[in-house]
Amino acid sequence: MFIDMHVHPAFFEPINGDEKREQYRHNVLDIHKNGTAPLEHIFNQMRCAGLDRLCLLPQDYTTQTGSAVVTNEEIAALVKAAPDKFIGFAGADPFDPRAAEKLEYAFSVLKLKGLKLHPSRQRFYPWDDALRPLYDICEKYDKPIVFHSGLSWEPDTLSKYARPVLFEELAYTRPKLRICLAHFGWPWVQETAMLMVKYPNLYADTGILYFDSAREFYRRVFTQDIPATWIDRSLRHQVMFGSNNPRFEQIRMAQAIRELPLRDSTLELICGGNAEVFLGGLD
Amino acid sequence: MIKTSSFTILTDRYNQFVLITDRVVRAVEESGVQNGMVTVLSKHTTTGIAVNESLECLESDLAEFLSRLAPEEHPYAHARMLKDYGSTAGNPTGHLKSHITGNHCHFVVESGKLVKGGAQDVYFCEFDGPAQRTILIQVSGE
Repeated sequence: MFIDMHVHPAFFEPINGDEKREQYRHNVLDIHKNGTAPLEHIFNQMRCAGLDRLCLLPQDYTTQTGSAVVTNEEIAALVKAAPDKFIGFAGADPFDPRAAEKLEYAFSVLKLKGLKLHPSRQRFYPWDDALRPLYDICEKYDKPIVFHSGLSWEPDTLSKYARPVLFEELAYTRPKLRICLAHFGWPWVQETAMLMVKYPNLYADTGILYFDSAREFYRRVFTQDIPATWIDRSLRHQVMFGSNNPRFEQIRMAQAIRELPLRDSTLELICGGNAEVFLGGLD
Repeated sequence: MIKTSSFTILTDRYNQFVLITDRVVRAVEESGVQNGMVTVLSKHTTTGIAVNESLECLESDLAEFLSRLAPEEHPYAHARMLKDYGSTAGNPTGHLKSHITGNHCHFVVESGKLVKGGAQDVYFCEFDGPAQRTILIQVSGE
């Protein structure tokens, strides 16, 4: 089972009938010239990458941009269209007065599998009081949280909110809450590794491709910035493959991750086994 | 008289040769042009339009030849974040193969029919798939 834990479906064709809404998504995400993708194309892309499942992550910037970029209902509709291929996460804007209510609904009715938050865009620190109800709901439903961390290419984002070390207190005070630092907290990847070796409830995904080709950048980050031995020996149960598609190159990243000098059993964990544990199972 | 039409295909492999001869023949016949030229043009920069003999062995040789000229493992400059796109450029080999192949072909139209040699077929060449691609066909003449 090969799972991409970090896919943004904002340009999937079934949720893009409205031209104005599509343009809003291009502007808010600052992703252009990509058009929309029919599901058949997404499945072709998955097949070429060797992927079995995609974890679909929405963004809810209601208090900043007036609406969610992708709503929880749209995520649920996509999962319904291909339940054997898609895993759906919920979004929440912590400063939306209805955030907790919407998240409860997303877990209890829409049956979404976790929560995606973006501190740099949504402008919060992990210990902010506004987050507490959302953390409580995730613990109540045993759902994990994916936090954007490190550099964000989206407009109106500040990196100061997304340094990995800021999440230590959350990992420490809520040891039963599984949290993932997306993008491995790049460029602070050693800081992310420091937290992972200390907190088993803290995961990271590999959605990084800010320079060079996938092969070159993965080699740089996962064999030099972090020695491959750190992952292979100590962090092998906490790293999950993620591509951050469509911003990054899903097919080439899926190939590049498998070329890293890691044990086959470690690659199996990174490519799917860890995601299954993080998600609390696939069903 | 000028008649322009287009069609879209979904390619399903990274590198792929797709035969489109029938589409071109049909476009010429439906254009109403009796004598003139037809141009087949790709709207993309990591694809090609080529005329060659439709044989499995040649398709294999062409793919291998292009891969030798533009290998995947090479320090290409076109491997970086593109601000205009907000995404990474990871497809230098597609651009290079497209450059070598060219993005269009022409045929003569006579008596309302496309004139081509017996071994000639028209290929749409995908060099950065899978993708959704659009091909333009313009028939001009009288």
